[in-house]
Amino acid sequence: MTWAQIIQIVSVAGVVAMIAAAWWAKIPRPTPELDPARARDLLAVEFPDNPINDLWIASDGAGAVARSGTEALVVYRAGDGYVARSLSWADALIAPVQSGHVRFRFGDFAAPRASLAVSGINPWPPQGHQAGLAA
Amino acid sequence: MKLDPVTLAIPFFIISILLEILLSRLGVTKANYEVRDTATSLMMGFFSSIIGAIPAAAIFGVSVWVYKYRLLDIPMVGLLGVGAWAALFLLEDLTYYWFHRLSHERRFWWAAHVNHHTSQHYNLSTALRQTWTGGVSGTWLLWLPLSFIGFPPAMVAIQKGISLVYQYWIHTEVIRRLPGPIEAVFNTPSHHRVHHARNPRYLDANYAGILIIWDRLFGTFIPEDDAEPCRYGTVKNLGDFNLLRVAFHEWIGIGQDLARSRSPREVLGYLFGPPGWSPDGSRDTSHTLKAKWQARQAAQAQASAESAPMAAE
Ligand SMILES: [Zn+2]
Ligand SMILES: [Zn+2]
Repeated sequence: MTWAQIIQIVSVAGVVAMIAAAWWAKIPRPTPELDPARARDLLAVEFPDNPINDLWIASDGAGAVARSGTEALVVYRAGDGYVARSLSWADALIAPVQSGHVRFRFGDFAAPRASLAVSGINPWPPQGHQAGLAA
Repeated sequence: MKLDPVTLAIPFFIISILLEILLSRLGVTKANYEVRDTATSLMMGFFSSIIGAIPAAAIFGVSVWVYKYRLLDIPMVGLLGVGAWAALFLLEDLTYYWFHRLSHERRFWWAAHVNHHTSQHYNLSTALRQTWTGGVSGTWLLWLPLSFIGFPPAMVAIQKGISLVYQYWIHTEVIRRLPGPIEAVFNTPSHHRVHHARNPRYLDANYAGILIIWDRLFGTFIPEDDAEPCRYGTVKNLGDFNLLRVAFHEWIGIGQDLARSRSPREVLGYLFGPPGWSPDGSRDTSHTLKAKWQARQAAQAQASAESAPMAAE
């Protein structure tokens, strides 16, 4: 067996062991469901210069959308962290809802889309914005 | 190469990560690991070692070729060798500082380096989130002057490896602060946490490899402020854990921007401007993010100053 082969075997075995240990340990950061206060805190970090006009929270608490003027600010959970992107409020209002999720597209290869859970209690588009949608 | 410090350190990497996970699970230390994040970091590191090996021989060949035209004959061993190692330690670390600074402040090189910063975590596994595109970015050219001066290419390669291994252990939140003299001279977990932070106040800071003195010297040092904990990742975090996205997202972003460029100025700006550069300034760079943060700080300070006399009444 060559030196290079030994390195490869040790590396692969090590990678498997480390991933298994991370899975076993279950020590991610806590990500409690977003409520309005938590969502606002998160938005204040991600979009510190944007005032929040309206706030909508995904039904599973894993994301939120805020209207800030003509912009839609979107935050959503990925693993135990959050991702933030924005799109125009007009585009956000016409985002398709499929299989209980509203799907936003950002035109950014680094974070192309977000899928946020919708329920009867918190439909998308948010109630009260139907007029804006029609206009 | 059997002497390669990084290869020799692989068992140490594995054991220390397993320990950081185990001790945190037992509540002895405080580190967070998320399975997909950990897997992404480790796979980036594993494939980086395979992909990096392809151009490595050619890059080493170039340094051997440059060494043929060296200015000095520098020994690796003996009494003079000790001095040579000390000189190389400083010069290689200085080279690393400028490589790292370039890799953050100019988009073409940021595209190759950004993957290291894509984790929202800061644990030992983050250290192994290494580039797949370092060879094509050409930053290895920066080390050629050392061979031209007369340091044997093998010696330079070993010192580069030592630097990489040194930088491994500082990727942890378990160690908060080391004794003052060490924090003053060396790159430490605290200094490198700031480097990985996405808080506007911490952007573009602490580029050090082993010695933090270069940041202090060139004005890029920012100390960790316990009042503002580091939030890790990039200014715009990635949407998922797809390895190809981690490795190539900025290159693809550059390609998309070049495709819509309308002038040589725009081409140069998108390629070699600071990350976030745009012709109309509509995107944020580290510079604009810091300026906005400073403006918010100033507004806050003014607001509290205006409310202070009222509070006193
Ligand atoms: Zn960096
Ligand atoms: Zn790092």
